[in-house]
Amino acid sequence: MLEAVNLSKKYGQKDAVVDLNLKVEKGEVFCLLGQNGAGKTTTINLFLGLLDPTSGKALVGGLDVVENKVSTNQILAYIPEVVQLYGNLSGLENLEFFSKLAGQKIASDELSKLLLEAGLQEEHHKSKLSSYSKGMRQKVGIAIALSKQAQVIFMDEPTSGLDPKATDEFTNICKSLAKNGKSIFMATHDIFNAVNVGDRVGIMNEGRLIYSSHTENIDASEMQELYLKTI
Amino acid sequence: MRRDVLLLVARQFWTSVFKSKAIYLLLGLTLILLFYAAFSGVSYHEQNHHRIEHQQQARESWEANPDKHPHRMAHFGTFAFRLKHPLSIFDFGVESFTGNAVFLEAHKQNVVNFSEASYSTSLIRFGELSMGMILQLILPLIVFFLGYAAIVADRENGTLKILLTQGATWKEVLYGRALGLFGLSCLFYLPFVFATVALLLMESYTADVWIRLLVILASYLLYLFIVSLLTIIISVGSKTSKNALVKLLGIWLLLVVVIPRTSQAVGSFLYPTPTKLEFRGAIEEEVIQFGDSHNANDPYYNFIRDSVLEVHGVQSINELPFNYPGFQMYVGEKISTEIYVRHHKELLDQYRRQNQLTKWLALVNPYLGVKGLSMALCGTDLETYASFQHQAEAYRYELAQAMNELQIKHIRANVTSSEGKVNVVDREEWKSFPDFTYEYPTVESTLGSELLALISILLWSVVALGMMNYWARNASAL
Repeated sequence: MLEAVNLSKKYGQKDAVVDLNLKVEKGEVFCLLGQNGAGKTTTINLFLGLLDPTSGKALVGGLDVVENKVSTNQILAYIPEVVQLYGNLSGLENLEFFSKLAGQKIASDELSKLLLEAGLQEEHHKSKLSSYSKGMRQKVGIAIALSKQAQVIFMDEPTSGLDPKATDEFTNICKSLAKNGKSIFMATHDIFNAVNVGDRVGIMNEGRLIYSSHTENIDASEMQELYLKTI
Repeated sequence: MRRDVLLLVARQFWTSVFKSKAIYLLLGLTLILLFYAAFSGVSYHEQNHHRIEHQQQARESWEANPDKHPHRMAHFGTFAFRLKHPLSIFDFGVESFTGNAVFLEAHKQNVVNFSEASYSTSLIRFGELSMGMILQLILPLIVFFLGYAAIVADRENGTLKILLTQGATWKEVLYGRALGLFGLSCLFYLPFVFATVALLLMESYTADVWIRLLVILASYLLYLFIVSLLTIIISVGSKTSKNALVKLLGIWLLLVVVIPRTSQAVGSFLYPTPTKLEFRGAIEEEVIQFGDSHNANDPYYNFIRDSVLEVHGVQSINELPFNYPGFQMYVGEKISTEIYVRHHKELLDQYRRQNQLTKWLALVNPYLGVKGLSMALCGTDLETYASFQHQAEAYRYELAQAMNELQIKHIRANVTSSEGKVNVVDREEWKSFPDFTYEYPTVESTLGSELLALISILLWSVVALGMMNYWARNASAL
């Protein structure tokens, strides 16, 4: 569903991503760990088509992102670290706008169902987004991805700043999405959550994927030890 | 660009703006300003009734003169009052600083007096609040305020990445936001349109006025279009919202304060104009060289008198078949008027040279373009004032020469004095001389003289669209 083939990105002389090769299968959650500036967000931006690679290819659904921006955009969704959207609009209004933007014509009650599916309680659907907590905003972001029927979801530090309960809720939602066949590519600092939610975990350092493993082969404390050793 | 996406992005911008209380506050303040400006415009225009009244009184006073010597009538003179253009309710232009009444008499070109500024406090120098002024100065600030964060805020908080991954293209995002912002600016603009049309409908005006209004309204619409696009362009080209706001305020200061003031100062420095005293002095100095046309024995006029006597084969002016002093004054009037007209033209040309710099700068400053066009079409610019001066002087000349002709024709040849009640002309003659009526320049000639302003607005629209397309290709969501 998602593949990087010798993917590299340079900013001037500085290497941001170096010769990245990885695959994320349908229904798989891949968590990419790394320090700030390791190249995680650049990797996501390459897959989103917001950056052009210096060399190599980023493929989404088997299509080269650079050459098929419109087609790949149709099957992917993005959830940033903080889902800001439009604070003056309600969660429902935001969802309506972004789903229409993706070409989806969904009735209001269906949109409400999507928000519920993403974990946002009904009483909040019509409140202004500016009154939402970070976790509630993330749920609107997930609902946007659901409304689009995205096959691949990119998440950039989605749990940073979330309290443990909200993190747990978010983890469960991700697992449920994966169970429903969505591929998730998550950049994160949260080692414990990565091991918990991810099917596979990778560590990136200075643009290079220096480690990748299935989570069944490693537990969180081993992962933390490995992470601290490698960076 | 997909039309539905474009409208969706525009509508979302509208909805988002209208969810904030700030928009209602701004709309309310604008309506208060509009009310004040419209009221000022109407009361300003009301002065026309007084001027018409005064013009009628001057005419009645002229016609009420008894049988008189025509030269005494030439000095009795009359007044020419400058009526305000109906559209001056919209843009006051330089009206407050130009005079509006002139006393017309023989041999003398009096200045146009009684400007608003001469009877007001120095506050008027900051400019009166007209509807045009609000649209030129304040509405762009409102548009900047509403739109400065339109793109950059979404980039700052990551929403732009979601917008683009949801399938919108850069072009759709930029033009959608621009459409939304332009729509908002139109919402602020429409009350001005309605107010102006409603005020004009209270009296009946010629097609010329409506054509002018149509061009004015279209120009302001384009101006707001340019301002809206410029706001989006600055927003997409800025790293932070604060940065965008500072840039836009800087642009506003540059376009509205720095460039116009500097161009006027540079124009005055490069093309200095004489003081009123110097101007009058230079004319009088030259006129004196051509003698005194009142004095039949003035040495300058001797050669004219001798040639006239020779043509008629007589020895003295008393033997001529017409009144020679009248003829001499006819010639004198012609000479002094030619001198005045030449000096006045030089003065106006100097003012035009001063303004030329500002007019050319309209090509880089759409504010100057719309300001110039608005003033000209509202009949409140320097050229309209100059046309009044020109017509008043032409009328004065006609009046003086008509009185001289009456003297030549009806006063006996040997009469050299205008005193007494013997050598007089029938009072009916005063009535046969037409009253002064001022004709505004035609809309065609006004547009012709404001071609640079028109080009500026059209050019800026194209340039702004070009810049939008540039950013649609080169903008980054990161």
